[in-house]
Amino acid sequence: MTIHLSILLFWPLLLSLLGAFAPRAVAPLFALVGALIPLAYAVLMIVDYEPAARGLQYLTDDAWIDELGIRYTLGVDGLNLWLVALTALAFAASALWIALRPPVRAKLYALHFGIAETAVLGAFLAQDLALFVLFFDLMLVPFYFLLGQWGGPERVQAALKMVVYTLVGSLLMLAGAVAVAVLSPTAELTFSLAELRANLTGESTQKLLFAAFALAFLIKMPAFPVHGWMPDAYRNMPLPVLAVFSGVVSKVAAYGFLKIALPLFPAAVEDWQLILLLIGLCSILYGSIQAFTQTNTRLILGYSSVAQLGFIVLGIFALDESANGAQGALLQSINHGLVVVPAFLIVALLAARSGGSEDIRDMGGIAFRAPLLASLFLIVTLATLAMPGSANFVSEFLILLGVFQSKLVIALVASTGVVLASVYALRLYIRSMHNRTGVAVTSFELSLRDAVVLVPLVLCIVAFALYPQRALDAGEPAVRSAVAPVTQPAEQAAAAEVTP
Amino acid sequence: VSLQTYAWIVLFAPLAGSVFIGLTFRLLPGRGHGLVGTLAIAVSFVAAILAFLELESRGEEERQVVSVAWDYAVTTGIDAQMSILIDPLSVLMMLVVSGVSMLIHLYSVSYMGGDRGYARFFAYLNFFVFSMLLLVLAGNFLVLIVGWAFVGAASYFLISFWYRRTTATAAGIKAFVINVLGDVGLVLGTYFIFKGTGTLDFLGTFEAAPEAFGENESGLVAGCVLLLVGAFAKSAQVPLHTWLPDAMEGPTPVSALIHAATMVTAGVYLIARMHPLFELAPTAADVGAIIGCLTLLIAASIGLVVTDLKRVIAYSTMSQIGYMVMAVSSAAYAAGMFHLMTHAFFKALLFMAAGSVIAAMAGVQDLDRMSGLRKAMPFTFVCMLIGGLTLSGVPPFSGFFSKDEIISLMFAREDWHIVLGVLGYVGSLLTAIYTFRMIFRAFWGEPSPEARELEGGHLFHAEQPTNPATGEVEDTDVGFPGPEHHIAERELSMKIAMGSLAVLAVVGGIVQVPRLNESLHKFLEPTFAGSHLYEELEPSGTLIWVGLVIGALIAAGGIFIAYTLWVRKPAAPRALQERFAFLHRLFGRKWYFDEAIDLLVTRPWGWSGRFAANTFERVVVNGALVGGASGAVRAASAAVRGGQSGYLRYYAALLLVGITGLGAYFLISA
Repeated sequence: MTIHLSILLFWPLLLSLLGAFAPRAVAPLFALVGALIPLAYAVLMIVDYEPAARGLQYLTDDAWIDELGIRYTLGVDGLNLWLVALTALAFAASALWIALRPPVRAKLYALHFGIAETAVLGAFLAQDLALFVLFFDLMLVPFYFLLGQWGGPERVQAALKMVVYTLVGSLLMLAGAVAVAVLSPTAELTFSLAELRANLTGESTQKLLFAAFALAFLIKMPAFPVHGWMPDAYRNMPLPVLAVFSGVVSKVAAYGFLKIALPLFPAAVEDWQLILLLIGLCSILYGSIQAFTQTNTRLILGYSSVAQLGFIVLGIFALDESANGAQGALLQSINHGLVVVPAFLIVALLAARSGGSEDIRDMGGIAFRAPLLASLFLIVTLATLAMPGSANFVSEFLILLGVFQSKLVIALVASTGVVLASVYALRLYIRSMHNRTGVAVTSFELSLRDAVVLVPLVLCIVAFALYPQRALDAGEPAVRSAVAPVTQPAEQAAAAEVTP
Repeated sequence: VSLQTYAWIVLFAPLAGSVFIGLTFRLLPGRGHGLVGTLAIAVSFVAAILAFLELESRGEEERQVVSVAWDYAVTTGIDAQMSILIDPLSVLMMLVVSGVSMLIHLYSVSYMGGDRGYARFFAYLNFFVFSMLLLVLAGNFLVLIVGWAFVGAASYFLISFWYRRTTATAAGIKAFVINVLGDVGLVLGTYFIFKGTGTLDFLGTFEAAPEAFGENESGLVAGCVLLLVGAFAKSAQVPLHTWLPDAMEGPTPVSALIHAATMVTAGVYLIARMHPLFELAPTAADVGAIIGCLTLLIAASIGLVVTDLKRVIAYSTMSQIGYMVMAVSSAAYAAGMFHLMTHAFFKALLFMAAGSVIAAMAGVQDLDRMSGLRKAMPFTFVCMLIGGLTLSGVPPFSGFFSKDEIISLMFAREDWHIVLGVLGYVGSLLTAIYTFRMIFRAFWGEPSPEARELEGGHLFHAEQPTNPATGEVEDTDVGFPGPEHHIAERELSMKIAMGSLAVLAVVGGIVQVPRLNESLHKFLEPTFAGSHLYEELEPSGTLIWVGLVIGALIAAGGIFIAYTLWVRKPAAPRALQERFAFLHRLFGRKWYFDEAIDLLVTRPWGWSGRFAANTFERVVVNGALVGGASGAVRAASAAVRGGQSGYLRYYAALLLVGITGLGAYFLISA
């Protein structure tokens, strides 16, 4: 089957542009269609994808800016297949949510939403470094507006903080990308990732450039200690936007490590491995203790994301021989996205039942007349704390196994993060749903418009829990080839000589 | 129909029941959900019996069967399939779990009758049984861990079943977190073992282990000790036991389920299942034996002084599990499993009787308030008495044989295991005393007002329902705990359940009587075929007979002491308390485990959390670390705010136009 990635990529943008010329009432519908078609397309792609085949599938490769050697190259492999699907799912769910509760200035909102989806998909699909950087930076723009214009009371400050913070990383990465292309010993100037990978820069250069990319990715995630922008941004972003932001934007960073940082700078990784493992470890511990101390539901989820992204960093830099850690990290990226999207939407429902407050001290007893909501939230909670039986557990199991094989002590310390996760996740659930009824709480069941978004998302979690195998199958060769330059440099060099 | 099919039916019938009840929770009338739930477990039980018969009809070598349903998480180097292992050990567990659970479900049909969470209760209950069956049927480490964690989650659901009670939710999260700690131990233990053997499959692991690890090699010992952490957390062995007494916050049938069939026995099963590894790592096995022995003594000592009816039984569970852990860690596998089985019968019975008593007392669980219930509740009394006699190890009840088997094998093992055997006898004495202390205090003496009312034919109801743990007035609008109470004397299903268990408790010992009938030992042989200790460990004839006599004398002596103290000389206990004030305080405060854990674990985490939230985030993350950047942010935001945020939009639009222009330029020039 032929799948045109350009359609997948630009459809959301196109539809939201069209929506900008449509009557105000139907603008969210355009955004919805703009998000649903890519979802259908992504599902088709998963069905059609050949896990056994190596290399990129559905390749689109056109010249773009010849003078600079920038090409418009899109492709899918095991690394981004499921992340693209996750992106499409998260945006579709969120678009449906928005369509059922149109915000003020809906046209503009929908426009930014469409740009956001195209930007994220672009970052995942790009096979050209310049294209990746372009989409990576483009992501910032729509979220900046969505936060700055539709956000909570401190939106202006939060938006500026987020922009300044992530801009630092973006600029570093931009400079790094240019430097890679220029310094790489290719015949002509090129940004093609495949070419750059076959022609690595010198060892000392790699070390510097790795740092630039790593910092950009860590800020985007965010990881400890460069998460300073996160609390303000999370407190103020509109919830459906926050759902996709936390669900997929952070995954671009994790993906960036596997797609760019490891293959392009293998010589640097040995020096940086321990530092990044420690950053991952600190993110887990710091995120967890914050998550069980905060009382704002958004921040509990935000810091829990810091902790879970810490696990992802840990997995990527486990660098064990069979690449179990990296495979777990990739799976965890998908799992975390699947879990956090419904979690933030549930926060909106909780707030609607506790007199508008998003603080767990004002909640309690919400489960009483809302058994369906309680059940859905319970499943999300258990998946969040990576209970065995969830796909999240499979990924954590692989991550910790990978780290265990390469750095035993770090794995032992990191496993306390698993216990802490059960504390913060259950604390959130119990304080909101159980215990005595809060003063301003009125418990009522999900409405149809809530259920229509949440139930499918939770069913996805359950289905993935029962059968994570397919995602693992697709990811395995791609992940192995991503970490191979680091773990098996000799073989890699031999392979590079054979392939033209 | 093949053995594998039966096993899958055993496993999935409860899950199907749980899902069905969950989906129809508003559709079935009356006690429909209870009956559906019971039926699901009955299907499971019947399939377990058929699996047992099928297994028996096979040759010795064909009694270990692995069945794979689908690839779960198979990837480079990892063979994680959804597989189950059917062998005599798992079939025995299947029978005990599904059989006892079925009776507990039957009991609950009436007992939970008035509760508003009726359907939810049975959905959880079925899920609990499913989880336990998954645990015992697991064919590899990953599935074991899944079942292990599901059991923990199910116990959390049920312990905090009455979720409006803050005591119940606190107990729930405590149980869950300690269980997750156990899960982590299990996962890390798996890693250590996997690192050597390169497989997650049980049979593959057992085959590869002797090659991969030398005797007592550090990696294997570490792995086995970590497995023990998992076992201790689930089986409530010190110091990971503190969740168990708190778990009494759940409805009484849940206590019966946790203590008899579905949860605390998991650790015993785990050690028995992993016996090839523990025999290669005797140091780890010794740790298990010692901790088991310590637990049995500590728990029994606490059982002597607690005044909450359910908690007395809870501590007795801890203590009895201590016996089992001690047994299976000392290669007395069949004896440990035997005691696990008889314990399941009499402990379920004791909890059911206690539930009936609590219902008659309108929710009150305090022994101080109970007295003289013998005449008012004759059926409950007889059941409690049978349970108590079995627990105390009075011949010819089943507990007598199973406990004695463990102790005599300790002596047969010789060396320092003899000390464990002697301490086992000390434990027996304490067991008989605390058991009959409970029975004499609740059923003898002047009838309490509640007992009198019941003798007059009327079931006592509290004017205002309160939380027995705190005295807090309940949220009455909620409807759970339900406004009605149900006692065994008035409910047929409760009577059937308790009657069946009473019979089993009395006659269950016949499956394994030394020298006369050793069918349990023989049945389990294929599982333990590789263990040289299984066959060699055999007490001599004198040891057996002396042991049986001593066991009987100790049980009788304990009961006599209890009779003297709490019936004949009611003033004596107070005098003893004053005389041994230190011990009384130590036991009464449960050896200060809760306080120690709070001080050493809970509080430091709380402090670090507050430090992170209030100080570190502000000073380091937002202050020093990004001083320059955040200064710039502040300046910029001040400028924007000065311009009344109208500028923001302007600035933002400019940014967008700029980027679009840039993109357009490149597009055109391309």
